[in-house]
Amino acid sequence: MTALNNNKNSRVTDSNKVSFIFDGKKYFGFDGDTIASALLRNNIKIIGRSFKYHRPRGIYTCGIEEPNALVQILSEKDEPNTRATVKKIYSGIKILSQNRWPSLKNDFGYINNLLSPIFSAGFYYKTFMGPKGFWKNIYEPLIRRSAGLGKPPKEFRSKSIHHHHNVDIVIVGAGLNGLLAASKFIDTDYDVLILEQDNILGGSLNSSQKIKTIDNLDTHVWTKKTEDLLKKSKNIKILKNTLATSYNQINHIIALEDNSVGKPLASHKPELILHKIRTKHTILSNGHIERLISFRNNDLPGIMLAGSFEKYIFRYGVIPEAEPIIFTNNSSTFSLLKSLVDLGCKPKAYIDVRDESSIEKKTKTILKTNKIPFYFSSEIEGCDGNKKLETISIRNKEKQIEKISGTMLCISGGINPDVHLFTQSKGLIKWDEKYLTFKPETAFQNTITIGSANGSFNFKRIIEEINEKLSLFNINELKIDLEIDCPEDLNIMELWETNNEKKSFWSKSFIDIQNDVTTKDLHQAVSEGFDRIEHLKRFTTNSMGTDQGKISSINSLGIVSKILKKNISEVGTTIYRPPYAPLSFSAIAGRSTYEFYDPTRKTSIHSWHVKNRAIFEDVGQWKRPWYFKKNDKETMYEAVQRESKELRNAAGILDGSTLGKIEIKGKDALEFVNLIYTNAFTKMKPMTARYALMLGEDGMIKDDGIVCKINDQHFIVTTTTGGAAKVLSDMEEYAQTEWPHLNVYLNSITEQFSTFNISGPKSRAIMRKVFSDVDFSNDKFPFMSFKKVNYLDTEVRILRASFTGELGYEVYVTPKYGLELWEKFFRYGENLGLIPYGTETMHLLRAEKGYIVVGQDTDGTVTPLDLNLNWMIGKNKKDFIGKRSLSRSDTSRKGRKQLVGILAVDKSKIIEEGQHVVKSSSIPSKIKFPVKYLGHITSSYHSPTLNHYIAMAMVEGGNDLIGKKLYVTQNKSSENISVEIVKPVFLDPENKRLLS
Amino acid sequence: MLVINCPYCGERDQSEFSNGGEAHVARPKNPETLDDKKWSEYVFIRLNPKGIFNERWVHTHGCRKWFNAIRNTSTDEILKVYKLNEEPPSIGEFDTTLKTPSGEPDLGSGNFTVKK
Amino acid sequence: MKEIFSISGIDIFQREFNQIMIRGNEHNQLNQIVNKEVSLNLPDKNLQIINNDNILIARHSFDQWNLIYFNDQNYRDVLKLVSNLNSNNQVCASDYSYGQVYFDISGEKKNYYLNKLTHFDLRLKKFPVNTMAQTLIARIDCSIYHLKEKYIITCNKSFEDYFTQRLADSINL
Repeated sequence: MTALNNNKNSRVTDSNKVSFIFDGKKYFGFDGDTIASALLRNNIKIIGRSFKYHRPRGIYTCGIEEPNALVQILSEKDEPNTRATVKKIYSGIKILSQNRWPSLKNDFGYINNLLSPIFSAGFYYKTFMGPKGFWKNIYEPLIRRSAGLGKPPKEFRSKSIHHHHNVDIVIVGAGLNGLLAASKFIDTDYDVLILEQDNILGGSLNSSQKIKTIDNLDTHVWTKKTEDLLKKSKNIKILKNTLATSYNQINHIIALEDNSVGKPLASHKPELILHKIRTKHTILSNGHIERLISFRNNDLPGIMLAGSFEKYIFRYGVIPEAEPIIFTNNSSTFSLLKSLVDLGCKPKAYIDVRDESSIEKKTKTILKTNKIPFYFSSEIEGCDGNKKLETISIRNKEKQIEKISGTMLCISGGINPDVHLFTQSKGLIKWDEKYLTFKPETAFQNTITIGSANGSFNFKRIIEEINEKLSLFNINELKIDLEIDCPEDLNIMELWETNNEKKSFWSKSFIDIQNDVTTKDLHQAVSEGFDRIEHLKRFTTNSMGTDQGKISSINSLGIVSKILKKNISEVGTTIYRPPYAPLSFSAIAGRSTYEFYDPTRKTSIHSWHVKNRAIFEDVGQWKRPWYFKKNDKETMYEAVQRESKELRNAAGILDGSTLGKIEIKGKDALEFVNLIYTNAFTKMKPMTARYALMLGEDGMIKDDGIVCKINDQHFIVTTTTGGAAKVLSDMEEYAQTEWPHLNVYLNSITEQFSTFNISGPKSRAIMRKVFSDVDFSNDKFPFMSFKKVNYLDTEVRILRASFTGELGYEVYVTPKYGLELWEKFFRYGENLGLIPYGTETMHLLRAEKGYIVVGQDTDGTVTPLDLNLNWMIGKNKKDFIGKRSLSRSDTSRKGRKQLVGILAVDKSKIIEEGQHVVKSSSIPSKIKFPVKYLGHITSSYHSPTLNHYIAMAMVEGGNDLIGKKLYVTQNKSSENISVEIVKPVFLDPENKRLLS
Repeated sequence: MLVINCPYCGERDQSEFSNGGEAHVARPKNPETLDDKKWSEYVFIRLNPKGIFNERWVHTHGCRKWFNAIRNTSTDEILKVYKLNEEPPSIGEFDTTLKTPSGEPDLGSGNFTVKK
Repeated sequence: MKEIFSISGIDIFQREFNQIMIRGNEHNQLNQIVNKEVSLNLPDKNLQIINNDNILIARHSFDQWNLIYFNDQNYRDVLKLVSNLNSNNQVCASDYSYGQVYFDISGEKKNYYLNKLTHFDLRLKKFPVNTMAQTLIARIDCSIYHLKEKYIITCNKSFEDYFTQRLADSINL
């Protein structure tokens, strides 16, 4: 039989034909069709192969809960696992069925179905145990090829954005209940946000005829009228195509808006919008989900949930089959029966598991008048057919098997309130013996559940319920008349699975259709001891697919409770975790990709660096020149060797603007600085500077920098680039929490100064030219002193300090004149040999001099004593942060790792950073005992001045090893490099250059 | 993501704040007089109870001020915030029974979404 | 003022500006100094703004204020004010000119666009006129000042390129 169009009262009209391509063939659907409704219109019933057994599968539902109908969208960068029941078609969309090879009809992987006895629950855990190496090389690639769903896309899909909302009320779901609740807030002071997953409002009003009229208006008309009123109200916002996926703490809701419904991806507009909503109250009116019943071959194409079948008729205007068979255990199928009859279709049979007396009169009358075969106290034993439904075996009231033919079967195993969001919010649910489902019971947050989401299946009571539940708000009572055409009660009878008569490899009764989990797997798991529901879920992979078992997880609880002879409430449920439906990574990332992956910071000299071929290094968020390419051919190694050499011969200038700078001021500033840093500052003269260390309370080095003393009440300190924020926040922490009695204030002035480090033997000559009225002589401007100098309408601070071991100055100028002054240096300095240098050269030069870099040579387990920096510790100070820890048994013990220099005996050998320092000359091919690790290389460079490699290392008992020979391991070689341990100063140990 | 009521800026998103661990652990006045054990207790040992907990927060991306909060660690509810110079509220003000969303046991967590 | 965006619903201008960050605890004493220099009182409520045609003073918290000049200023005068403030031992005043950038944002859709970049609750009932806030916008630390009909947003100068690109991106997408 074929599908029919329902033009009378559906939400999709046949005015606009849309062409689409499915598995290479062109078809037509209507504007507003989902892929599924368009395929049903074209009588296509098989649209995929299953996950494990490669069984043919069709369309099972009509919405987000779909387990089967997953497709790949070729025209959208190969987006896999797209729900055909949700995704709308548009002209030119290219769709491919999934998980089949070579074709949907003849699938090679179907052999898995024949091998299925070995693929039962826990198969992977039990089977692929050994031998060693087999998993990585054989099992995993094999399984990956045959199992799974779509192929992962190769390209990044689209741009997605985030949008934040702060509102008073969120209403999830704009069905009848959501619209009624929303209409109470029209023109009030509450900011209301309505989230609707569909592209039209109305929810179940669109998908059935259970409600005939509202306030004597046709439901279409009423929905439209209500929508217009809501849109006019300034305090209400409606987001369509928006699915609430997570309900987090403190009423924080994440919702995903699909901004490209029914149209192709556009590169200039976001495809997905992730809404992050903070609200005061949440009203959940997100409806319900129908569930299945397990019987033999309940996965055959042609089997569909009854409510979904009905939704196709009214929401999409397609009757997938004029003479379906209906199988139910409750009264919700009445409206499908009635609608079909009203549309002139005649169901082939109506099978109800309940006895005749408990089926309402209305149903029986319709069946009788229309002479529809009626099987009460009956159930479906199973189905058969070749790649589609052909025969249905009914176990009738005499327990006899009766076979009828049919191509479409509509089943209803009951209705579950959609409690996912409610339980995500930490609300408690309770098993309802009357409706055989979990209902929201106690809210944990400001959550209100109404309508079928609350388990209120009786339309007669909904107005009363809404008025009562929303009475905490200052809003008017709702008075609305509903004309209802469906049984008042669900009147459900328990039925989770039916008994199989037929045993064969092919005969399976599925519980989780997406993950190919059968009811037999559940029995087996329980018999193997996995009787806790969370264990059972993971052992069988039940409800772990992309649909999260929306139509079947309650059924599995029912089955397990029967096996265990317990109540379902004792068995409990697995935890519902966000997201409610799969969420694209692109949506989660939002704009934090590519150019906005991390905020970037640039100095005021950045444009100059770019012009002068700087290659940049990311230091935290900063872009710092790593090295400057002299020409396109110059490699990094060449550039760094050249920069280093030229600086030691003449002069170099480094953009140090990224260094952290903190202004410390207050009556007690001196005492504060004494407590924060290890050094002693009391006797220090004003306008001098000191290299200083900051420790953690555990005694380990946290940061270093230069402390400049203006006077006892005023200091300016520098920090490392990466440590700036942390150092300031640590200082603030101590100032506020431990020493509130100290009068001291801190301001970050990092951004207030462009900082240049000028260094090299010619730097004094250059400084004299740039600042002609300053005396730079050794007497008047000694090492570690600073001056304030007038410059245009501002002041420049000049500090004599050096991180290269050469004569050097640091210049601090307002960023207003940063670039101007930088260029001035080159105007005056270029003919004296001034070159720009980058961070890599800086690191090389400081290593030659044996200066450490915090975070490279130290790693949070290094004390100043380990670096032989004892001279930096103010031993006479009563206290400073970390002081007491320096005498702890562990920090003061012998044999701690200490900083040493390393030189290869064969000077041409390259020592790599991170390699181990060991005692043996080679690593034995068979290791009986672990080779003792003595330490590791922290820094290693080729020194152009010395013309060989130099390295620094942290080595156990390093101080006592000076002059001794040890070995350093190599990458990809068992031969170790013979090295000599030396003092970690390779150049100018007498500081002649520094103090020149 | 929590909402935290900064005593100086009002209610803000948790992303603006950093947690500072247990509150009211004063830095010893005379560290040199302490033996290794006592000192290491100050440096390394902090409480991490299930239930009512006094802890420190700082409004890192706002006013940069530290303050204290009382949080029920099993429900993540922040019951009260108070300034550094204010006396900690007495525990008696709060319901100290372990009221967790799912009625979990005193120790550990569990899967208890269903009301018994 | 440099216009960086002006389309229906939102206008964004950017400029360099002079600013002073003031920290201190002795409110009355500090108020006297400031009042003498700029004839405005320090706001006494957290997050409050007081302004005239030339200057805005905002209170960030109990010991922190900042002073923003609306008009171009002689830099020497600004630095002189900083050093006058600093002549008091118990005050820490830092020049914050040129190290930050200033954006002037107006238009009826400003909240819509900004809420693509920040979680901050910009609704008038939560963020009234003449208040300020320090918060995260586009993942960086910003100060936002609500004046009649417009916002002033300031952030560190190093983020200037990034931040303007993010603003443009949020309007374009």
